[in-house]
Amino acid sequence: MNKYFFLFLLVSFFSWSQDFSDEDYIYLKRHEHIKIKLENDQFDIAKNVSEQAKYITSKKLYFANEAMHFDSFTSIEDIDAYTLIPETNKKIKVDYIETKREFDNGVFYSDQESKTFTFPAVTKGAVTHLNYKEIIKDPHFLGMFRFGTYVPTKSAQLSIEFPSNVTIGYIDFNTSGIDIDFKKDTEGNTNTYTWTVSNIDSFQGEDDSESIIYYLPHIIVYIKSYVKDGKTINVLNDVSDLYKWYTSLVEQIDNSALKKVYGIANDIVKTLNSDREKAEAIFNWVQDNITYVAFEDGLGGFVPRGAASVCDKRYGDCKDMANLLYEMLNHVGIDAYRTWIGTRDRNYSYFDVPTPMVDNHMITTAVVENDTIFLDATDSYVPFGMPSGFTQTKEALLGIDKDNFKIIKVPAQDASKNVTTVNTLMELNKGSVKVSEKRALKGYEKVDFITDYTYKKDTKTEEEYLNTTLALGNNKTKYTNITKSNFNNKSVPLILDYNLDIASYTKTIGEKIFINLNIDKSLSNSNIDVKDRKYSKKIDHKFQKNFTTKFKIPEGYKASYIPEERSFEDSNYGYRITYNVKDNIITQNKSIYVNTLSIQKEDFDHWNGFIKSLIKAYKKSIILERQ
Amino acid sequence: MNRRLTFLILFITSCSISFAQHFRTYDWTETPALHELSKAEMKESSIGILKKHIVEYAPNILSPEPKRYETEHTIVRVNDDKGIAQHNTVYIPMYDVRKVVSIKARTINPKGKVTLLNQENIKEVKNVDEYGDFKIFAIEGVEKNSEIEVLYTVEKEFDIYGTETLQRDYKIKEAQFLFITGQFESNIKAYRTNAEFESVNIDGDTADLLIIKDMPAMVEEEYSTPKANNVSVVYQCFPKGQSITQSMFWTNVSNNVGQQFFPEEIAIKAKEDANKILNGKSNLSGFEKASMIENYIKTNFTIVKNNNNELSDLNYILTNRSASDYGILKVYAQYLTALDMEFEIVITANRFLKKFDPDFFVPNMLQDFLIYLPTEKKYIAPDRIESRVGEAPFNILGNYGLYITSTFDHYFSKIVQEDPDFSRIRRDMDISFGEDFENVSISQDQDYFGHWAQTSRAVINFSTEQGINDYKDYLTGSGIEDKEIINYQTKNEEINQTAYNVPFKVNTTITSESLLEDAGDSYIFQVGLVIGTQSELYQETERINPIEMLYPNRYNYEIIVNIPEGYGVEGLSSLNIDKSYKGTTGEKLAKFESSYKLEDDKIIITIEEFYKTNEFDLNRYEEFREVINAASDFNKAAILFKTTE
Repeated sequence: MNKYFFLFLLVSFFSWSQDFSDEDYIYLKRHEHIKIKLENDQFDIAKNVSEQAKYITSKKLYFANEAMHFDSFTSIEDIDAYTLIPETNKKIKVDYIETKREFDNGVFYSDQESKTFTFPAVTKGAVTHLNYKEIIKDPHFLGMFRFGTYVPTKSAQLSIEFPSNVTIGYIDFNTSGIDIDFKKDTEGNTNTYTWTVSNIDSFQGEDDSESIIYYLPHIIVYIKSYVKDGKTINVLNDVSDLYKWYTSLVEQIDNSALKKVYGIANDIVKTLNSDREKAEAIFNWVQDNITYVAFEDGLGGFVPRGAASVCDKRYGDCKDMANLLYEMLNHVGIDAYRTWIGTRDRNYSYFDVPTPMVDNHMITTAVVENDTIFLDATDSYVPFGMPSGFTQTKEALLGIDKDNFKIIKVPAQDASKNVTTVNTLMELNKGSVKVSEKRALKGYEKVDFITDYTYKKDTKTEEEYLNTTLALGNNKTKYTNITKSNFNNKSVPLILDYNLDIASYTKTIGEKIFINLNIDKSLSNSNIDVKDRKYSKKIDHKFQKNFTTKFKIPEGYKASYIPEERSFEDSNYGYRITYNVKDNIITQNKSIYVNTLSIQKEDFDHWNGFIKSLIKAYKKSIILERQ
Repeated sequence: MNRRLTFLILFITSCSISFAQHFRTYDWTETPALHELSKAEMKESSIGILKKHIVEYAPNILSPEPKRYETEHTIVRVNDDKGIAQHNTVYIPMYDVRKVVSIKARTINPKGKVTLLNQENIKEVKNVDEYGDFKIFAIEGVEKNSEIEVLYTVEKEFDIYGTETLQRDYKIKEAQFLFITGQFESNIKAYRTNAEFESVNIDGDTADLLIIKDMPAMVEEEYSTPKANNVSVVYQCFPKGQSITQSMFWTNVSNNVGQQFFPEEIAIKAKEDANKILNGKSNLSGFEKASMIENYIKTNFTIVKNNNNELSDLNYILTNRSASDYGILKVYAQYLTALDMEFEIVITANRFLKKFDPDFFVPNMLQDFLIYLPTEKKYIAPDRIESRVGEAPFNILGNYGLYITSTFDHYFSKIVQEDPDFSRIRRDMDISFGEDFENVSISQDQDYFGHWAQTSRAVINFSTEQGINDYKDYLTGSGIEDKEIINYQTKNEEINQTAYNVPFKVNTTITSESLLEDAGDSYIFQVGLVIGTQSELYQETERINPIEMLYPNRYNYEIIVNIPEGYGVEGLSSLNIDKSYKGTTGEKLAKFESSYKLEDDKIIITIEEFYKTNEFDLNRYEEFREVINAASDFNKAAILFKTTE
C-alpha cells in the first residue's frame, strides 16, 4: 500500500514538473511544415516555420534577439513576428528586420546571411510569435528538425506534405527516451507525415563531450524519389544517388592548366623511386605549401577549385586540397580517389542518411603498395600514413569512377602510434629539485603539441607556455635550456629537451625528506562529475605515455621508504607505476594508456575509479633519511 | 565604431587652387625585393617591415567640406604557419567609406617571385554585426618566408576627427603616420611613443610625419589593458581661420547630449511607469528609488544593437520597450526625473580598449555611457544587465569620463571607486578528517560582495549549464582533483536587489582524499590547496604594460583545522606569509598575510589579502608580483600530522 502511494506521488510529481514552471524561458511551440510540390521535374519546396515562446521570468530577456539564417540555397520570406502581452492582450509587432553577416573564425568567406530582429516589449509573461517561410531551392537540402533545443519545448512538430508520386525518406536519432506521435495522412493526391513530441526538455552541449547531435533528439527527412510516367526517378534514394550528385559537381571542376600542376608533381618526385616515397612527398608538399582558407559560396562550397588555381594562389579549403592531391598523385601513377567524409562531430552513416548532411569534409584516399592511406592536408602536422584525428572511425566515401564508389571506415589509430616518452633525471640541490628531462612525442601527441604551440602560445614566452601547459612540478617550476627538434620533420618524433628548477617541492620534516617523483600528473584532473554530467566524455585520440624517472639519492642519505607498485588495468585504460633501487639511483617506471575514444555514461564510475587510483599513486612520495 | 552623436559645427571653407593629392602619386616600388632581417627577426612568426598610414584632407571644389582620403600601406614578412594564418586574409572596413580609390596586394616569395592579387577575388561583405561593410580578400601565392604587401586608398565621408592605431602584436620595423592637411587647420597627438612629429612638405602641402623605428610587439600581460596601450595617433582637421579649441568641442557634446537627455517634460507613458515602479511606496531613499528604476528597466526593456534609428526615439522606446544603448538613457532620464532624482550623464570608454583623454577630443573615445547619481555617489551602468546601482563597472573604473549636468555644463573626472570596501570575499572554512585520515572534509561559508557578487549572480542567472557547473567547481575550491561535493547551496542569487551591496552567499561541503598523503605513520595534509588554485604571475621578459587590476578587492579567510585525537602537528611555519606593497606614505596598498594560532585541538589560520587600488606603479612591478605570488606560495603550505601515542 505504502509503496504504491509513493509511486503515485512520483508519477504526479513528474507530470507536474512538465509544465517547466521553474524555467526562465520556454518554447510553447516549434512547428515546421514542409510543403513539396513537383511540376515538370522541378521541385518547389517551402518550409513554414511557426514558433511561440514564453518568458516565464524576466531574467533572460536576451532571448528576444532572433536570427533566421539563409544562404544561396535558401531564402526567408513572409516574416510575421510579434509579442503578445497576455495581461493586457496587447500585440506589439516587430517592425524592423535587418539582414546581417557574421565573420566566422573557421570560414573566411561564407554566403550565409541572417535576418535578425529583436522582439519588442518582452518581459515576464510575454509570449513571442514568429512565423516565416523558408524557400528551399535545392531538393538535396531538406535539412533536419530538432525535437529538442537549448530550452524546453511544450510542443515540437515536423510535418511534411508531398504529392503521392513522391517518396520521402526519414530517420530519427536519439529518440528512445521520448514519445513521438507519428501520423501518416492521405488526402487526394497528397500525403502528409507528421511527427509530434510534447514536453521535451532542454539540451545543451558539454565541454569535452561529443557534439550535441549525439544526444539531441532529431529527425532527418529527404526526398528519395518520384514517379514520372510510370518511371521512378531517384533523388536521394540511397548513397548511390548522393554519389551521383557529387559526381555531377566534381565534373564542374576547372581542369585548365593542369600541366602546371603536373610539372610541380614531377618536380616533387623526380628523385624518388617508390610509390610510398612519392605519395609522402606530394602529401608533405601540399601540407606545407597550401594554406587552409575556407570559402562557402553556393555550389562553390561543394565544387573544388581547379588544381592549377589552388597551386597559384597557395591557399584552399579541404576540397581544394583534396582535389589537388588527387590530381598530383594520379599523375605520378599512384591510385588516388577524391573522398567525402564527415568529421567526428557528425555521427551519421552514408547507409542511413544518403544526404549531404552526412559529411562536411573532403580528403584524398591513396592506395600505395596495397595500403589504403587517408590524406588530409588541412591538418598541417599529421604525418603521412595517419588520417587526421577528427576523421577517425568515420565512413569515407571514395569516388572510384563516374559510377562507382566505395565506402570504407577510417580506422581509429592505435595508442601505440600516439606515444609520449619521457626520460627524466632528478636530483636534490640546495633544497630545490633539479631536473633534466627529454620528451619524445609521436603521432597525434606530436600533432596536438605543435598545433597548440603554433596557434595558442600567443605572446607568451616559451618558458611560460611550457609551464602552463605541461604543468610540471609546482607553480614555481622554472624552465631553462629549452630545445625543440624535429618540429618540421613529420616522420620522426618531436623531441623537447629542458631543465627544470623546482623550488619548495620537497618537504623536510624532522630528519626526513619527502620527495614525489610524479612531477608530471597527466590525467589527474580528468575525474568526471557524475552528478551533473549528462553526456559521454570524448577522447580525441588513443594514446600511451611512458615515463622513466631516475632519482639520484643525495650523499649521506638513504631511501627509508619507496612506494609499492600500483596499477589499474582495463582493456580501455589503465596505468602501472613501479619503483626500483640500484645503488644510489631510484628508478620509477610509469605507463599510462587510453585505448578508447569515448567514455560512456554507464562507465563513468569505472573511469573515475581509474583516475582515483592514479591520483592515489601520484600522491606517493619517497622518504629519504640521513644514514 | 563611431557613436551616433551628431555634432553641429559649421564653417566655411575658403576656395582653393591646389589640387595635388598625394595618394594619386604614392605607390609601392615597381620591382620589389625581400628585405633583410636579423636572425632574431627571422625567428618571429611575422615581422612588420612597413606600416604607413596616410590621412589626407584635400580641398573639394564642389563643397565647402574637404575631401578625406586614407591610404594604408603595409609590408609584412611571414616566417611560419602562424604568421601566414595571421596575414593571409585582409579585411578592409568600408565604414564611412564613400569610394574605394584602389586596392592592391602582392606577395614576394622567398625566390623573389611576385604574385599580384587578382582583383576579381576581392569579395564584398555587407553589414557585418555592428561593424558595417567590408572588402575582404585572401593573399595569393604566400609561402613561408614570403613578404605580403598591401596598399589601398579609400575616400571617406568628411569628418573632422580620426584615430589610428599603429602598434600590433608583432614587431614593426618602421611605422609611419603622415597627416596632410595643406591649408587647413589641424591638431595631432600621438600616444605612448617618444617619437615626435616633424613638419614636412608633401607636393607643396604642409604635413606632419611621425616615424617610429623598431616598434616592439604589444604583448598580452596579466593585470594590464594591452589593447588600450597600443601606440596610436589622434587628429583633427578643420578650415583655415577657424579656431576651434578642445573645450569648444566638449561644450558642443555636452550641449548636444544634455538637450537630448535632460527632459523638459515627462512623457505620459513614463509617468505611468514611474507610478508602477513606486508601487504606492513613499519615503524611499534615493538609493532605493534608483534601484527600483534600474530593476524595472532591466526587466522590461531590451537593448538592441542594429541600425534602427527609432531605437533612440523616446516614444518608440516606451512603446516597444526596446532601445539602443544610447536611447535607453532617455528612459532612465525620464524615470529619474519623474522620481525627483538628481543625475548626471557620463560619457567614457572601456579602459581595456581606449584610454579617455580629456585634452584631445575624438568621438571615437565616446563609447560607453553611465549615469552618475551625485547624491548617492553611485553609478548606474545602463547597458550591463548584471550590474546594479553601485560602483562603476570594472571595465570603466579608472578611465576618465565626461560628466554632463542637468544644466548641460560639463566637467571631467577620473571614474573612481567611492566605497573602498565594495568588493570583498569573506570565507570561513571548517576542516576535519575521516577515520584514519581516509579523507578530509571541508565545510565552507562564503560571502561575495560588490563586483564579486555581480559576477556570481550573472553566472548563476545567465550562463549555460556548463558555465554554471564550472562556477560551482570554482566556488567549492578549484583544482582539488578528486573533490566530491556533498553540499552546495547558494543564497541571494537574485539580480534585482534594492538594498546596497547585498552579498551573494555560498554554503558548501566537500570531501577529498587527494589532499592527504600518508607518510609512514604520519599524514601530510596539503592545506594550501583548500583556497583553490592560485596562479603564479610570470615575468621572464621586461614588463611593458602598466599594472591595472580588475578592481580593488579584499579577501578575508578563516580556516579552522580540527586536529584528530591522538595526533600532533608539525610544519606550521609554512603558514606564515607576509608580503606587502606600500604606498609613498607607508600605508599598505596591497598585501597577502597569513598566520596561524594553535588553540586546543584546533589550528586557526587567518588570511587577509587586499588591493586597495586597482592601479599600481609599473616601476614597482616586482613588489606587486610578490604579493600576487604570495597566494600561490600559500598553495604549497602543508601540515604534518604525527601520532602522539
